[in-house]
Order: sequence, then structure tokens, then C-alpha cells
Amino acid sequence: MTEDSLLSDEFIRQLTAVSEVDIVVGLPTLNDSDTVQRVVTAILVGLAKYCPRERSVLINPDGGSKDGSAEAVQAASMPDFRAVLVPNPLRTMHVVSTRYPGVQGESEALTMLFAAADLLGAKACVLISPDLESVTPEWIDALVRPVLKNGFDFVAPVYQRRRFDGMLVKNLLHPLIQTLYGHQVEEPVGREMAFSGKLAAYFLGDESRRENFPGLGAHVWMTTAAMAAGYRLCQSFLGPRVTASRRSGLDLNTTIQEVAGTLFRCMEIHQSYWISRDGCEEVPTFGFQPVLDLDAARIDRKRMFQMFGRGVNELGSVLEKIVSPETLRAITEISKQEEKHFLFPDDLWVKTVFEFAASYHHSVINRDHLLQALTPLYRGRVCSFILENARAGNEDVDRKLESLRQQYQQQKPYLIERWNRQA
Amino acid sequence: MRELVITSLRGALTSVSDLLARALPRLLAGAIIVLAGWVIARIVEAILRRLLVLARFNRLFERKGLSRALSSAALPSAAEMIARIIFWLLWVSFILVGVNALGIVALQQEVSDFVSLLPQFIVALLIIFFGFLIANFLSRAALLAAVNANSPSPRLVGSFVRFMVLLLFVSMGLERIRLGRGVVLVAFAVSFGAIMLGLAIAFGLGGRHVARRILERRFAADNGERREEKDDEGSHL
Amino acid sequence: MSVIGALANHAAGPSDSSADPLWYKDAIIYETHVRAFHDSNGDGIGDFRGLLQKLDYVQDLGVTAIWLLPFYPSPLKDDGYDISDYTAINPAYGTLEDFKEFLAEAHRRNLRLITELVINHTSDQHPWFQEARSSRDSPRRDWYVWSDTDRRYRGVGIIFKDSELSNWAWDPISKSYYWHRFFSHQPDLNYDNPAVLEEVWKVMQFWSDLGVDGFRVDAVPYLVEREGTSCENLAETHEVVKSLRRRLNEKYPQSFLLAEANQSPADVRPYFGSGDEFHMAFHFPLMPRMFMAVKLEDRKPIVDILQQTPDIPESCQWGIFLRNHDELTLSMVSDEERDYMYDVYALDAGARLYLGIRRRLAPLMENDRRRLELMNGMLMSLPGSPIVYYGDEIGMGDNIYLGDRNGVRTPMQWSGGRNAGFSTVDPERLFLPVLSNAVYGYQAVNVDAQRRSENSLLAWMKRLIRVRRSSRVFSRGRLFFLQPRNHRVFAYIRELEKERVLVVNNLSRSAQVVELDLRPFEGNIPIEMFGENPFPRIGQLPYLLTLAPYSFYWFRLRRL
Repeated sequence: MTEDSLLSDEFIRQLTAVSEVDIVVGLPTLNDSDTVQRVVTAILVGLAKYCPRERSVLINPDGGSKDGSAEAVQAASMPDFRAVLVPNPLRTMHVVSTRYPGVQGESEALTMLFAAADLLGAKACVLISPDLESVTPEWIDALVRPVLKNGFDFVAPVYQRRRFDGMLVKNLLHPLIQTLYGHQVEEPVGREMAFSGKLAAYFLGDESRRENFPGLGAHVWMTTAAMAAGYRLCQSFLGPRVTASRRSGLDLNTTIQEVAGTLFRCMEIHQSYWISRDGCEEVPTFGFQPVLDLDAARIDRKRMFQMFGRGVNELGSVLEKIVSPETLRAITEISKQEEKHFLFPDDLWVKTVFEFAASYHHSVINRDHLLQALTPLYRGRVCSFILENARAGNEDVDRKLESLRQQYQQQKPYLIERWNRQA
Repeated sequence: MRELVITSLRGALTSVSDLLARALPRLLAGAIIVLAGWVIARIVEAILRRLLVLARFNRLFERKGLSRALSSAALPSAAEMIARIIFWLLWVSFILVGVNALGIVALQQEVSDFVSLLPQFIVALLIIFFGFLIANFLSRAALLAAVNANSPSPRLVGSFVRFMVLLLFVSMGLERIRLGRGVVLVAFAVSFGAIMLGLAIAFGLGGRHVARRILERRFAADNGERREEKDDEGSHL
Repeated sequence: MSVIGALANHAAGPSDSSADPLWYKDAIIYETHVRAFHDSNGDGIGDFRGLLQKLDYVQDLGVTAIWLLPFYPSPLKDDGYDISDYTAINPAYGTLEDFKEFLAEAHRRNLRLITELVINHTSDQHPWFQEARSSRDSPRRDWYVWSDTDRRYRGVGIIFKDSELSNWAWDPISKSYYWHRFFSHQPDLNYDNPAVLEEVWKVMQFWSDLGVDGFRVDAVPYLVEREGTSCENLAETHEVVKSLRRRLNEKYPQSFLLAEANQSPADVRPYFGSGDEFHMAFHFPLMPRMFMAVKLEDRKPIVDILQQTPDIPESCQWGIFLRNHDELTLSMVSDEERDYMYDVYALDAGARLYLGIRRRLAPLMENDRRRLELMNGMLMSLPGSPIVYYGDEIGMGDNIYLGDRNGVRTPMQWSGGRNAGFSTVDPERLFLPVLSNAVYGYQAVNVDAQRRSENSLLAWMKRLIRVRRSSRVFSRGRLFFLQPRNHRVFAYIRELEKERVLVVNNLSRSAQVVELDLRPFEGNIPIEMFGENPFPRIGQLPYLLTLAPYSFYWFRLRRL
């Protein structure tokens, strides 16, 4: 796609009418008509309540919904402000819907948002998912304020988590990104986020945007690209994240493909940045986090263990191409343990992840296959993590995660060595 | 009698020595051609490899995404491949020239037959070679899909897919060089089914979310409620 | 009908329009203060003779009526709104004879005169109050509202919160409390007493007999008090108004009543009754929203308030204004809107007074000529009779250091000469000092200088008023909003019978493009009204216009 055809003529016409704005809120939809109205209302109320003086526009790129999502967005664009104790907004609130051409993932929708933000000279862009059930107007404030008032370029969310939720983030994405990129962002695949207009323009101009990362991969790319380019990061507490959609039901394989795959790819793109980098920066966190112990997520540990065992047993021929013989031996060994005493130790897990990343880099086998081979091992790690922390309090879990992060940090030289080794 | 024997022996000896005297130079020449051919082919190969590396030939392929395909099929880099292919082509043609130089009529017939068959042979080899690649790829895809779908005996599925795909390609290759024509038809029927099965398994298991997405998009409009089966794995993100 | 034709009609018109009992619907009103306009006798205070001398200027401006702030004898503790004699002229401003002469000359120039009827309260120096307080048995005692306790009518809001603590004030002479909604030196009259109403009617007859064409009735919502209510907008108050209107209609069918009721449009609507109360009422909430819209660069505030404005009877009219002698009142806007207005228009706390901003139009617009023109353009094209506050036609400034609202009541700046040409007295003796700063001072901003230039604000205002008067569509036409997607563009159609005018305003400080859906007017040719030049014919496609910063167009739509 050429640069000048990013935006359709009709979309441009709508944007010209909106013209200069301070805030762009992006709400990409695809068959979300049952939830999106509430989300739109929350956004508009949030804008009216917390940004009454800022000029804002809600842009809704629709991926060709057949259930009238875009119409639902338009229909929800006149909420009853008085009913939620918010004075009528001072300004006209624009809600622009447009079709984006792609069918796969959000990449095209994001590109449109970057371009629109650039065109309108927006100071802040916010990204909100259309399938949220727990969104409140306060989210807008939490995401926008750090950009507009405190001069941050990228605001990652912090969600209130159930224990054992977000295992992929905690065991892989978060510590790996922190080790490589040196920023302690709790949710590197935050689906709600905000970024400055400056950063939107950078994303738009960045060569790697054209790779069209699949699904949530685009979010990983945004997070890491912002870090690698040295933008100011912070995070903001939003509360629990509850959604109504198929996204959460997306199977593990796809999730790993999209997220871990993109992270490995981003490691290639940003290798000149992370290989030489050392140390870690605190990322300021805004918002009040209530002390609230949510029920632990329900996870079928037995099934995960069984799938791990079978995976290791069956995939020997594939794994031997990816990981080192010692690692494979160690993994095979632990897969023979009894479930009750099963332990996938931190150092082995980190080593495995690093070897996968390096093998991905060297394309030792088809990259999709490589990521698929990671899935059973990850299952084993999750199972072990749950076993280890079954009786642990929140603080204990935090301590465990901290030591995992240190493990990542310690083995970084090993990663670099494998990474640079010729195939 | 004795003389006759001697004469015939001598005659035989003479003819053998004659034969030898006539054949030896040819044999020598043939051997020299083959040897020299090997050396020349090696030199050409080395020069070519160096040139290709200097010309950053691999980069070109990287951009086209081909080198990833090669390495995922466990093959060397593109430059290396081309260098090796050229080596083998050169050397084989030197061998043929050498055999021809022997001047044995029957062999000459065979060689000319072989030369006329050579293009077909190369094509057949290529087909079988790609068959290996595809079979490897599909069997691995099936294996991984089966593992991740927690289905029983994934390795069996993988091997089955590999066997069936190989069968198809080998029979296609043999068909090329007009061997075992009868077998080919049957083998083709069998292998076609196998491929379809392999693809169905690979797509059905490995690509089930794609399939679901397609179906969903297709039917979302008329299907008001959208029930999601959530696996008992919590949310990983 | 061309503009020239229209003007010719109007030039001949006033005599026939004087026969039109709905004349106020087409009026363009010039609001001024005798004291501040021109001083003829060199005492430092403006007077009727001075005003008379400047009538040509007022006529030349193109307005059709003059509204004079109170000119009655008064202790002047509230700029004349504390009247101590309803049927006389404050000696400082001249005599009754002077007034009569001025009125005759104004009428000769087809200028109508509207005076103030301040009947909610009198000055505490008024003989009625002096008599009423003299003893509890005084025959005039119940002309005012008395109480032994300050606990009656609890919960009623205090208007001047900055200076008053209670609506009750202690009278040490009769040892009781009297009711005052405004300052404590302004006791409220008691309309439960029929004698008070009779006396007011006498006052109205007195001035009407002299030839006054209408009355602006001050502080209307507060006339009657009742326990347990907010003491505003009571049914009894409406009865008082109806009775006055009935009598006025019978005896002086040409006269009219203008209500000052600083309320939301829905609350003001009852004061029109079914055409049997006020002829006209100020549209208070519109004004702050026009200012807000220009700052926000968004038409929403204006559209919102006009959409909330109910229809009024055919014989009635809104009075609309940008600025007047009071503060730019923000009592009719939400807290958020008020905060916003303060932040963008009155960062200097000295500019804030009561719930409003005590500034003139030009300083509010940062003396930006384009914004001044845009605001006046909207004033002249929105529904209602526009009111121009003296000095705003030349872009006069203010002096917020003068206390109360005196900052916007400084002498009119006629020339660059002594005392701005207002008076020949020593500057120290002026009732208020003239402005003398570099930007708004009389050296920079005065009538003389602007008269000389075709390009001055004054010349431009005259043109604007002339074009406005060229068609009754502005004063009597219906209003339809166009809703182009570009919210920075405020566009509407005024329509009267077959005549249609399209108004397009750019509220933004930057150039804008707008696509107007004009399909209902397909085939018409828009003719720009200031230059009389035609624009491309309207077709099926969206009508594309580009607008310079803060610019506006008036198009007469013609089918040719």
C-alpha cells in the first residue's frame, strides 16, 4: 500500500470537518455491535468529564462488520450526559466511522489511526477495545492525562489481575522485554493504551510498521518500538479488564504466534538497540490501586502437564533443531517427573526462551513451526508456576517473578552469544 | 594342436594386447577427462561461491523471503546451493564426456540414451527433491498441530503425512523417466487421497482458528449469539 | 430587490413603519447613558443637550431606536437604578424641557426612545420610602415589604453576593427589616398593594404622554414575594405585568415593553404570555455562548442554546446583545462553562465581578478586528432585535480599575482632543476618567478618526447595519440550522416568505473549508450581500465554501 492511499477520500472528508484536535480516540471494531455502544458511551462521557476543553474525535475503523458495529457506534454517539452526572460537553463531539481495507488483524486500523492523528495534529491518541465490559469513563482520564499533562509519550495500562492470569506476560513477555529494552512495563501487550501525537507520527513513519504484525502483535511492536526509539514511558492503572469477546477465547497457539512471534521479530528489528544496552529504568505508574485479592484464574493444570509431557515426547525431532542438546535433555528429564513434584526451573525456562529466540532469528526451521513448538513447553512452565505458587500470597508471587526477571538478566549474555552465532 | 593352441593363444594375446593398446589410451583419456572435470568443477564452484557471497546474493534472497523457506527446509543458503548444483552439473557432464571417450559402442549408446533422458531425469530429481521438502514441511506441521491439539499419537500422523506425500512425488518423478508406468496411476490415486488427508489434518488442526475466523465472518450476520468455547487455560495475556 | 432598492424603501419607511405596531421587531437599538455620551455645559457630566447634539451621529449609524439608562433623580449609588423621583429628570442631565426637545429631535430623525422603568425597587432616598419608614402606621407603610424578622423568605438567592449578606436590611427608624433583592439601599416595592401598581401606571402614562416609545422593565422576575418560593417568576408577578400591558395597549397601542429577566430561555418564555405580557425580552444565555463559541471554535454552544429556546408568540421578539452596561453575566451557564469563560476571557481576577466579566467587547476580542466583525455579524443575523452598546461600534475599551461596573461606562470617545471631545471641563472633574491607554485610549479610538476612514470599524458597522436593514428576513424570518460536519462553521438559513438568506460564519482562527448540504435550495444562486456578487449556482452536490479566519458570508438566495 502506498503512503498516500492510507486514508480513503471519504475518510479524509470526514477528518477535514473535524480538523485540528487534541485527542484522537481509536476504537477499531469487527462484529462488536453487542458491546460497542457501552464502550462508546464510556469514552464520550470520559472525554466530556475529564477533557471538557480539549478538542477530541472518536475514530472507529471498522474491519467490515456484518452486524452493524459501525452503525452501533454512530447510534451511541449521543449519550445522556446528565444521567451520569456529567455536564453537557462544551464542544461538538465527533464520531467518525470508516472502513479499513484489511481483513487480518488490527495493523491496518492502527495505521489509519496513526495517519489520522498525524493529519489532525493530535496531541494524544488513545486506543480502546470495543469488546470491553469493564471500561469506565475514568479510563480515558487515566490514559490521556499522562500524555497531555505530564508529557509522556506512551502510556501502558496496568490491569487488576486475577492470580495466574496473564501467565504468558509474566513468564515471557514482561521479563524478556524488561531485560532487553530496559523498561519495566507490566503490560507490554496492553490492549488499552495511549501515545502522544509525536509518537503516532513516528509509528507512521517507521519502516517496520509495514510488516503488518498479526493481531495483538501490533501492540507488542508499538510498545517495543516506543522503547527502542527512546520515548518517555509510563503506565496507568485502569482496574480489572473484562471482555465479552472471542479475543479472550483465542487459542493459545495463536496467542503465542501473534505475541511471542512478534516479540522475537521485534528483537531482530531492534537488535542494535538491545544488544548493547544495559540496566533498567523504572517506569512511573499512575493511579490508585486498591488492595483487592481477586479469585485465582481457573486453570486445568493436569491437562497442561499432560500436554507438556506428550509434546516433549513427540516433538524431539523438532526441538533438537531449536534448542541445545543440554536443554533438550533437561526438558526431557523434567517431563518424566511426577505431576505432583513437577518443576520447570526458572533458569531452564529462561534458557529455553533464549534459545527459541535465537533459533527464530536464525530461522533454523519454519518460524511458525518454531513458535508452535514453544507452546507445549510454555504449558509446562505454566503448570510448574501454578504448582509452585499454589499456596503463595501475592507478595510471594511477586518475589518469585522478581527472581525470574533476575534470571533473564543473568542469562542475557548467553542470549547474545546464541543470537550472534552463525547458523 | 599345440601350435594351434599357441597360435590362438598368441592371437588372443595379441588381440587383447591390441585391444589394450587401443583401449588404454582411451581409458586414460577418459580418466583424465573425469579427473580434470572434477578439478575444473571444484574451481568453478569455489569461484562462483566467492562471487555470489561478494555480490551478497543471499541478501537478495532474504528480501524475497526465500532464504527463510530454504533454511526452514533444512537446506544451505542460496549461494551455497547454486554453487553445489553448478559443481555437480559440470562434473556429471565431464564424466559423460569421459565415458564417451572410451569409445565403447554399447556404452556410447547407453550414454546417448542417458543424455537424451537427462533433462527428464533432472526434472524427476527436482520433483522428488521438492517432494522431500514438502513432505518434511507438511509432516512437521501435522505433528505440531496434533501435539498442540492434544490428539493421540501425533508422530504417527506426521509419519503418515510424510509417507503419503513422498509416495505421490516419487511416483510423479518415476513417471517422468517412464519407469513403472502401471504403478504410477495407482500410486497417484493413493497419494492424492493422502495429500488431501494430510492437508485436511494440517488445516483442520493447525489452522482451526483461521477456519473459525472465516466461518465466523461468514455467519456472524445471521448468528446473533456467538458462543465461545473457552479452554480451561485462563487468559495468557 | 436590490440593496439600494431596499434602502430606498427604508429611507422612506420610518413614517409608514411608525404606523406599524410591530416596529420593535425590526428595531436596531442603541443603548447609551446620558451621563456618558456628551456634555454640553462643561460640568463633566453628560446631559440631554449633549445627547441632542450627537443625534445625527446616532442616526447616521443606522440604528432605529435609542435605549437610555435611568436619567431620573437618584443618589446614584447604583448608576441611577436607585430612583428617588420617577417623573423628573436628574438636574445634572438637564431639565424636562431639554428632554422634550431631545425627544422631538429624535423622533424627527425616526429614532424611537426606550426608557427605563425600574419598578422592583426605589432608592431608599425616595420620598415614598422615607414616608414608609417614618412610622409603622404611615399610610405608605405597606408600599414596601416589611418584616419583624429576617427569617421570612429564607432560601431566596442573593444576587450581589459580593456586597450583600442578606435580602433583609434593618431599618433603625421603624425598627424592622425591609426586603431588598438588590442592594440594601434599594428597598423592594410591595406589589401586593394595588396602590403601588396604580402609581407605576401613572409613571408610565407620564412618560408615554411625553412621547416615549417603550419601556425596559428592570428586574422583572422579582416583583412579587411569596413564602416558600424562590420569589422569582411567580404567577402574581405575571399578573402585575399583564395588567400593565393591558392598560398600555389600550391607551398607547404603539408603545412596547421590554423585559429584563436574566433567566434561561424556558423560564423567560412565560413573560411573553400569549402575547399579552412583554413584547420583547432579552435573550441572556445566548450572549455568553457566542463568546464561548468563538473561543472554543465550535458552534455547539450557540446551537444548543437556540435549540433550547422555545417559540414565542408572533407579536413578540427577542432582544439580543453582545455587551451592555452590566457585567457579561455568566449566571445562566453551567459551572464548567463559567470556569472556562473565566479562564479564557478573564484570567485577570480584576475583570471578574459578581458572576460575570466586566469588560467591553473590544478587549474581550483582544481588539481583533476580524473577531469583532464576526461577533457583530452574528448579532445582526441571529433572530432578535440587536442592541448595540455605545462605544462598541468604534471598539472602545474599558477600565476595570474603576470599581463596580463603571469600567464599561466611561465617557464616549468622540475625538482625539481634550477629554476625548466629551466635555470641555478639566479632566479631573469628569464623572469618570476617559480612557487614555495606548490601545483603547481616546487618542487611538475615537469617532472623528474612524469617520475619516472607509475602513474603520465604525464605517464597517454602518455598512453592516445597512445590509441588515435591507431585509426583514433578519428581524422576522425563521431560523434553520445547517449542520455541516465541520463544527467550526456555524451556518444557518433565515427565511421569511419567499426570501431566504444563508449565513455562514467561521468561528475558527484558521481558514476552514465547509461542505453545506443545500439541496433544498437547488437551483438558487447565492448572492453575497455585502458586495452583491453572485456565487456558483447551488446543485445536487455539497456546496463547498472556503472561509478565511473568523470570516462570515451572508448570501441572499435567489432563483434566477
